[in-house]
Amino acid sequence: MTALRSIDVSKVFEDGFTALADINLSVDPGEFVTLLGPSGCGKTTLLKIFAGFYAPTTGRVEQNGADVTSAPPEKRDTAMCFQSYALFPHLTVAENIEFGPKQNRVDRDERLDRLNELLRQVDLERHREKLPNKLSGGQQQRVALARALAMRPSVVLFDEPLSNLDAKLREQVRREIRGLQRKFGFTAIYVTHDQSEALAMSDRVVVMSGGKVEQIGAPEEVYQRPETAFVADFIGSANLLPFDRVDDHVVETPLGRLTVSNRPDPNARFICWRPEDAEFGVSEGGNIVTSDISERAYQGAYTDLHISVAGAPDQRLHWPGGASCVGQSATFRLPPERIRFVRGEIA
Amino acid sequence: MVSLADSGATVAPKKPTRRAGALNRFLMIVLMTIVAIWLIVPFSMAVLWSLVDPETGWNYPDLLPPSLTHLRWVEVWTTTALPQAIANSYMLAPTVAVVTLILASPTAYCFARYDFAGKGLAQLATLLPLVVPGFVLAIFFSSLIFSLGIYSRFLSILMAHCVLFLPYAIRIMTVSFGQVRQDLIDAARDLGASPLAVFRAAYMPALLPGILASLIIVFIQSIEEFAIAFIVGAPNFTTIPSILYSYLGYNFIRPNAAVVSLILVVPNVLLMLGLERLLKSANPAQTGVKG
Amino acid sequence: MRWRRTLLILALLTPGLGVILLMIGSVFYVAVMQSFGYYNLVGEDSFSLEHWEKVLGSKQFSRSLSYSAYIAVVAAIGSVILAYPIAIWLRRPFRGSLAISAVLKAPLFVPGLVASFLFLNVIAFHGVVNQFLMWIGITDEPIRMQNDRGAWGVVFLQLWKNMPFALLLLTGAVQSISDEVLDAARDLGAGSFARFRKVIAPLTVQAMQAALIIIFIGAAGDFAFQVTAGPTNVQSMAQYMVFLKDSFGRWNQAAVVGVSLMILALFGSLILAFISSVVLKSGNKW
Ligand SMILES: Nc1ncnc2c1ncn2[C@@H]1O[C@H](COP(=O)(O)OP(=O)(O)O)[C@@H](O)[C@H]1O
Ligand SMILES: [Mg+2]
Repeated sequence: MTALRSIDVSKVFEDGFTALADINLSVDPGEFVTLLGPSGCGKTTLLKIFAGFYAPTTGRVEQNGADVTSAPPEKRDTAMCFQSYALFPHLTVAENIEFGPKQNRVDRDERLDRLNELLRQVDLERHREKLPNKLSGGQQQRVALARALAMRPSVVLFDEPLSNLDAKLREQVRREIRGLQRKFGFTAIYVTHDQSEALAMSDRVVVMSGGKVEQIGAPEEVYQRPETAFVADFIGSANLLPFDRVDDHVVETPLGRLTVSNRPDPNARFICWRPEDAEFGVSEGGNIVTSDISERAYQGAYTDLHISVAGAPDQRLHWPGGASCVGQSATFRLPPERIRFVRGEIA
Repeated sequence: MVSLADSGATVAPKKPTRRAGALNRFLMIVLMTIVAIWLIVPFSMAVLWSLVDPETGWNYPDLLPPSLTHLRWVEVWTTTALPQAIANSYMLAPTVAVVTLILASPTAYCFARYDFAGKGLAQLATLLPLVVPGFVLAIFFSSLIFSLGIYSRFLSILMAHCVLFLPYAIRIMTVSFGQVRQDLIDAARDLGASPLAVFRAAYMPALLPGILASLIIVFIQSIEEFAIAFIVGAPNFTTIPSILYSYLGYNFIRPNAAVVSLILVVPNVLLMLGLERLLKSANPAQTGVKG
Repeated sequence: MRWRRTLLILALLTPGLGVILLMIGSVFYVAVMQSFGYYNLVGEDSFSLEHWEKVLGSKQFSRSLSYSAYIAVVAAIGSVILAYPIAIWLRRPFRGSLAISAVLKAPLFVPGLVASFLFLNVIAFHGVVNQFLMWIGITDEPIRMQNDRGAWGVVFLQLWKNMPFALLLLTGAVQSISDEVLDAARDLGAGSFARFRKVIAPLTVQAMQAALIIIFIGAAGDFAFQVTAGPTNVQSMAQYMVFLKDSFGRWNQAAVVGVSLMILALFGSLILAFISSVVLKSGNKW
């Protein structure tokens, strides 16, 4: 059985704007699923449909096999962590955490057990009587998390929970969230526009763009085998090249004639390769490319090289050494198995 | 009315609500109907009563007056003390507005630009005139001026009105002084401006809307004020509300009361609308980078 | 340097705050002294409790006091109760919401005497309301709404004039609650009434208390509505005070009523504000 499922869900706002179109997504119990996409692509809208704040214009939402499409948020077994934390400013940390259980008439002992356990989990025991505005951003985030978990929800919905934290803290809270999820075993749907967050945390990533699902897959899958130009470009960086099919194993591209080990998809518009796919120091065999370097940027672990050829401006590759050892031109090999075919448009 | 200064400066409009559905539309229609009855019926009755023909009158069970004429207006104007009352009110109110502004500004400047112990209490104390019941203030103020031997009615009412409306002016001007940007003052001084030039460059643009708002609000309040004008002014110095009271009290003359009501309320409504415009148009000019 | 700064601040405060304190203070002083037999316009000044005894002992006084207190409580609580749902309804702007709130707030700008007059026409014995009620057959006889014994006319006028003020304060407070906080409450299982009791009310309690206090004081000291539309068998405090002063110049007794009115306004409004916060806090305990 699926923990949460959307069937042909679409959302058209009153002003006629279509924020979501035909979203089909099944989430397994205990799974950690990320909704990844640029700002404005409809992630929050989908999350709010799962939480019950918005009714989908068409389609259904099921939770544990039961149709919950028209259940209001207060009746759903989901808990949401808001981007702004949305803590109740007039209630203390403990009162905030107890809000949900009190609403749901959980008995007193059980409530206090949950409170104490959660306060320990998120390391806020010393702050239980404080008001939210006396806490740091990271602490407020943890109160929001504890408040959601106090409901013992089977699904927790996160809306960019880390976007207001600085980089260091973000990584720490990210690990805490994963730890809590493993401990409590809830199903998580996690919205972010940060691809590294999505890759690091998720069991599966749902890449969205313009209100549509582009690709669903494990982090390795969406990174290594992007299906569309959008996914390839949004996750990591990718070089996209138009191509002409010569036969099942050879394509003609602006970089020359390349051998590929994947069969060209009939709908594919581009070939895609990643900067780190380039192999240096090999001059034998096929797929050797030589090009003038137009720009270089030292990044520490590697040097970012930009090459430009007719029909393919600004291709990027990672040279594993320092900037000073690079000459005027680069010669490298593209392994045939690393060349992917992708559908869709270049943004 | 206390927070008019704030309401003028309300937040930028949010996105339309997502729940603006059939319910809202229904509620709105119901409410609009109620409100139309709420405002439109009373005001049209007042207009009709002011136009009733003295010959035929307007008696039960006629739904509308049988004939209308402007004679009432002429009659009230020529046979009562109304012209004198209008002259008094419209002489008093602008004076009150200007004097109140002058008295309020230093205190407002102090509240906006200095921090000191007891500031909260001091700001609360400026609200005192609003919490003393008007007639208590009026009666014992009149008793006070008797014992001080002040016999000018105009001067007495002027003093009382200034104190009574200082809270509004102080509040509005405090907000305005708070909007003067220190970086503009610093920039002007850095560029070698004289104090007058600094005032014109940095203070004036931020203060102007507040000054106008304060003048208009105090003006309106002073025109409308009844307790002090009646107790202190009666019977020699009449203002428009006192005249209206004389037609409403023991000596109820409905058509005359209608005329005076309209004379009292219409200019104020127009001024109020003007003020709203003013505050709306003045605001965007104020917004700049914070900090 | 410190004392120079202090001096500057005092100098700046003098024309505004200073004038207010001086004037309100002396008016208060005169009222209190007169109630104890000083500041007589004619006759000797001497301390006496006679005026207090006379006024407090009169039946008219206790009727006035309880009548004014009653009107003030009803006006304050009624205005807030009417204004809350409207403020919550108008929290998020929608098409036409600005027009609605402008129209609702219009009575703020209608002077009290004019408001009285407008409604006297509407609720008069042969006024529109009565004619309408008779036309649809609710009553056969016109109902007495002006100068009625139950003071419904005055209560109505008070609500008409004061609800917009409560609305002004509450709208600001309600609008400053973020959408996400209310969404969070919903998500945690709070229905609409629970959201009001546990989130909206506690977060707007200060605005509500300000509205209660100011409306209470204004209504307790009402003169215009009472004189024009109030019951004739009882006087409001302000009316009683003016009556005492005007009939035989009983200034000292008027002063007693005036001081009592101030005490009523001060303590009544504070008690009301206190009770309201206690009621709201009890809502938080579940
Ligand atoms: N209530 C609304 N009415 C109209 N359009 C909306 C509404 N809420 C969101 N949108 C639009 O829908 C799109 C998706 O919004 P959202 O789901 O918040 O995106 P994000 O992926 O950044 O979370 C945006 O273009 C936004 O402007
Ligand atoms: Mg979002």
